[in-house]
Amino acid sequence: MASAPSKLYADDVSLLMVLLDTNPLFWSTSSLPFSNFLSHVLSFLNSILLLNQLNQVAVIATGYNSCDYIFDSSVSTSRGLENGRMPALCSNLLQKLEEFVVRDEQLCKEGSENGLASSLLSGYVAIMNAIFSAQRSMVPIDSCYLGSNNSAFLQQASYITGGVYLKPQQPDGLFQYLSTVFATDLHSRTFLQLPKSVGVDFRASKEDSRKDGRPLESRRKDSRKNDPNIQLASSV
Amino acid sequence: MPQVRIIAKNFMDMVASLPAMKLDNLYSNAFICEAILRSLPPLAKKYVLQMLCIDGPISAKSMQEWVLADGASKHKVAVDRLLQLRIFTETVDRKRETSYRLNPVFQSNLQKLLVSGEVLPGEPLPSSITARLPSLEELDVFAIEQWECFMLQLINSSQAERPSNISSSTMKVFQRGLLTQRDKEAPRLTESGFQFLDRGVDPADLISFLLELSFHVTGEAYNISSLTDIQRETIKDLADLGLVKLQQGRKESWFIPSKLATNLSMSLTDSSSRKQGFVVVETNFRMYAYSTSKLHCEILRLFSRIEYQLPNLIVAAITKESLYNAFENGITAEQIISFLQQNAHPRVAERIPSVPENVTDQMRLWEADLNRVEMIPAHCYDEFPSREVFEGACEFAREGNGFLWEDSKKMRLIVKAEIHKNMREYLSRSK
Amino acid sequence: MSSGEVIKRAKYKTSVKDPGTPGVLKMTEQKFLFNPNDPSSVTKLDVEFAHIKGNALAKSGEAAKAASTAKVTSSTKVASEKSAVSFPDEQLSTAEMELRMNLLREDSELQKLHKQFVIGGVLTESEFWATRKKLLDVDNRGKLKQRVGFKSTMILDTKPMADGRTNKVTFNLTPEIKYQIFVLKPAVHQAFLNLVPSKMTEKDFWTKYFRAEYLHSTKNAITVAAEAAEDEELAIFLKEDNILAREARRKIRRVDPTLDMEADLGDDYTHLPDHGIFRDGTKEISETQHEQYMRTLSQDLNRQGAVVLEGRTVDVDLEDPRTVAEALVRSRQELDGDKTQERLDRLSRMTDIEDLREPLDHPFAPLCIKDPRDYFDAQQANALKTLDDARNKMEQTKRNLSIDEAYGSLRDSISKIKTMGLSDPIVKPEVALSVLNGLTQNISSSKFQLGKNSRESILDALDVHTGITETFLVFISYYYNISSHKVDDVQVSRLKDAMSQTYRQLEEIKESVQSDFRHKVSLLVRPMHQALDAAFQHYDADQQKRSSKGEPLNGFV
Repeated sequence: MASAPSKLYADDVSLLMVLLDTNPLFWSTSSLPFSNFLSHVLSFLNSILLLNQLNQVAVIATGYNSCDYIFDSSVSTSRGLENGRMPALCSNLLQKLEEFVVRDEQLCKEGSENGLASSLLSGYVAIMNAIFSAQRSMVPIDSCYLGSNNSAFLQQASYITGGVYLKPQQPDGLFQYLSTVFATDLHSRTFLQLPKSVGVDFRASKEDSRKDGRPLESRRKDSRKNDPNIQLASSV
Repeated sequence: MPQVRIIAKNFMDMVASLPAMKLDNLYSNAFICEAILRSLPPLAKKYVLQMLCIDGPISAKSMQEWVLADGASKHKVAVDRLLQLRIFTETVDRKRETSYRLNPVFQSNLQKLLVSGEVLPGEPLPSSITARLPSLEELDVFAIEQWECFMLQLINSSQAERPSNISSSTMKVFQRGLLTQRDKEAPRLTESGFQFLDRGVDPADLISFLLELSFHVTGEAYNISSLTDIQRETIKDLADLGLVKLQQGRKESWFIPSKLATNLSMSLTDSSSRKQGFVVVETNFRMYAYSTSKLHCEILRLFSRIEYQLPNLIVAAITKESLYNAFENGITAEQIISFLQQNAHPRVAERIPSVPENVTDQMRLWEADLNRVEMIPAHCYDEFPSREVFEGACEFAREGNGFLWEDSKKMRLIVKAEIHKNMREYLSRSK
Repeated sequence: MSSGEVIKRAKYKTSVKDPGTPGVLKMTEQKFLFNPNDPSSVTKLDVEFAHIKGNALAKSGEAAKAASTAKVTSSTKVASEKSAVSFPDEQLSTAEMELRMNLLREDSELQKLHKQFVIGGVLTESEFWATRKKLLDVDNRGKLKQRVGFKSTMILDTKPMADGRTNKVTFNLTPEIKYQIFVLKPAVHQAFLNLVPSKMTEKDFWTKYFRAEYLHSTKNAITVAAEAAEDEELAIFLKEDNILAREARRKIRRVDPTLDMEADLGDDYTHLPDHGIFRDGTKEISETQHEQYMRTLSQDLNRQGAVVLEGRTVDVDLEDPRTVAEALVRSRQELDGDKTQERLDRLSRMTDIEDLREPLDHPFAPLCIKDPRDYFDAQQANALKTLDDARNKMEQTKRNLSIDEAYGSLRDSISKIKTMGLSDPIVKPEVALSVLNGLTQNISSSKFQLGKNSRESILDALDVHTGITETFLVFISYYYNISSHKVDDVQVSRLKDAMSQTYRQLEEIKESVQSDFRHKVSLLVRPMHQALDAAFQHYDADQQKRSSKGEPLNGFV
């Protein structure tokens, strides 16, 4: 399947859409502590907003049972810092994230453990539809994957939409990966070489049926005409 | 809403031309680091970001690895800009390998911005001290009025509704510096515009003050006593332009930044110019401008004949006479065309060309009519002692790119004024 | 076919009426061989093409299709005999054969593959083509070609030329115009078939026709009526076209009764002067009395439009109007039959002009998930295993850490970062540097791989790659259809051998390149290896299952 053609952008204004995997089971086994992970990601979001005053960022947390928006830069406009420790962005986001995790946990207690197979199936359709839609609207999906194996879905998503798939070798340098590769605006991407996955591992798609943490971070960029341009970066 | 914009290119050139010491000082201010980062070309931003956490130098070669063939020029522009602004420092090692590292002050300031967020410059005055502050709308109205009044005065002093307190000497500087840009809808502060604000002020201080001002919160009151003397002088001029509003309380006096001021740093990035156009030009040289602004009307009057003025519509015709008027005022056809193109009504802006070709061509032709005679300051030489000397002089003038005319029979030579000095030296040597 | 070899079941006939000897015909580039099924039969042929001096087409349609009836001068007995070879019906027709040969000739890549696998004996002819059905689809290839249509000028307005001196007018008539008149006016067409040449000559026929046309152009309905009354044959041309009228009535009955014809009333251009039509419809006064002799402009226009849109339906030499007329009858009959739909399809295709169409290889992947269940069923077996692993792992973590605790630690992390703030420095400088260097290295290596200056070795690898894809495709098709296809193990193992050979080739390529590039080549080669590995693995598993159960099994494990 051919990779999507990329659109031309006259400027570096971006709309970044980030999907964060906040599956507690994954994070309790991850080598990179969740707080460190957040620290890297928040710095990355800050840097995106720093680069251009027209840049926008939206963050969606995907938990074990649900997902929800936890940040939208077009809504929260407050600048400056709160309680002197971190940018306002971060404290807003963390507040929302905390509320989200509590809600997600609540759902976990309410809902019974339903069969994995059905959710697998619907998940597959939803993901593939999302990927194809992104391809149609020429929104690159970048994936930054922190799990132990490669994620075939994310590999395919990035390949099909012309985004970057990256599995950081040094998770403690996550911010460096994010700022070097994922922060590159779509305008600059036309004359830069970004990491290319060498041949998508087709066998991998068979292994990818776990429901546990596959935190994605998706990123979209917006041009003048408001056509969304997702870039997806994932991280776990 | 008019936009006061700093032309990013000119402004950054000015910043880049500051001496190294002053530049380094400038970077001690986090706002300036942010504003300057935003003004960089996209690729340069990326380079800064990817080196933000790295202490040591990065080899130029490894940076080049990322660049595709058609990005080579962009890469060069980005690196040059970074070097000019001393954000990058270049080192060449013994193997003649070039490498760059980030300005440490700049770097640590940006890191701080990312990790701990930004500190607002100055605390706004509590509402207990200030009397009723103008609402944001009132402030906008004030700013627009001030700015339009100022612009109207620049363009046509008789049109200004009320006499402004801008001194005539100030006006002159502005007219020189700004007027060439006056047909652009968004007035811009050019380098010479700064010279006015300059008046013995250190440009570095001025730059940092302007940028700092832009990071204040619109509509909040800030104590004037927190400013330095020079800044207090400057802020009065800025109030005339509508960038800030000054108010006097019982004890304290304060300034309230308007949108014009807070947008200043945004304007550093060219991509922010996303305003709506309002002009439709027809192939019959008729022009319809959907605007209520008097300023717009006056701008159009500079190069067209206003025919009707309706509450929200100005109908004008571009005529040879009206254009000659504009040319006499030093406005070029290119400027008018670019004004019409930049302000094309959204309905016509999508079309290519947004201004009919026959109109633009005719405007250029009319301008060319006036420019049949080109004046070049020159010097004439005659009475050469010998043909050798004459021919040598001609050769010399040609090499120096200053040759204009020769009459070999009478041995007379005309050269451009700029090589006159060299020519005289040459002639005295050849004697 | 320069590298081809065709093997066909065939019958050897010495004459057209001979029932023939069944056998196998093998054609190579240089010669053809016929081996009868009954080895005792004497009718063997081994003829080199160089010896064939001429050929005679057999009259029988079936035999004519067969490659050739050859006159051969050679030492064999059959040498001077007239011989015919015919293919049994289930075999390929010559047209199909030619198509394949053409395909191979046009596409050198394909030819290479064909040589390697079919001539090399790895695949049979039909296996090779089975994966390329699309290429063989004649309808798609042939019919999309753009055809020359009719001119859209009003042929009905063929202007007479008057020489000005005499009272004579001349009509210019070309075969093209005749054809068009037939199509436009079924009544004239019918009359031609009825009258020429039995009752009148072709010349008389056309003279009469144009006399009628001339009368029409005078717009004198009374004269027309008078003339029609006098001459029965002339009346045919002057009257309303009955066939068309019948069709029109049929069409009108099918029109949606809610359609508002009044709404279009103002949409005409007749008020514009010189609008490119010779006649002015508004001036055509109708006299009810002679209405049947009047033709309205809109009728003519509509008919013209319909015919031009429909395009040519007859593909014969236009010189002889009789053949044209007959061919037209045939095509009309076809139309009435069940071919109507096909013609409609063609119509819609023709309005879609080939040059203007966007390329078929659309940059987008089609948004088509036929049935995700299929995908999942196929994956199920593999997935289950992993799923179990995942479950075990999850169970394990659940034992170690209940879900409550997991959420708890997540919340702790969040409140920790809330109180501590972001880590400063964000990344340790040495880590950052090593990450950046790692990425840069990755970039420079992949740059080479994409590189425009690819080494030959890489090209070789790519070459092998197409080979692998070929065998792999066939292998997979067997793998999933083993039971239905009734493929013998020999066939599969032959494929397997071919694949293991390419495996070795890959290894060789990897070894042969300089060490600097070995890494890059292996990056390229790896996915192929993986694909082959997977294929072998499945094959072995399948083999085992089959031997254990003693029956062939479907590919799904």
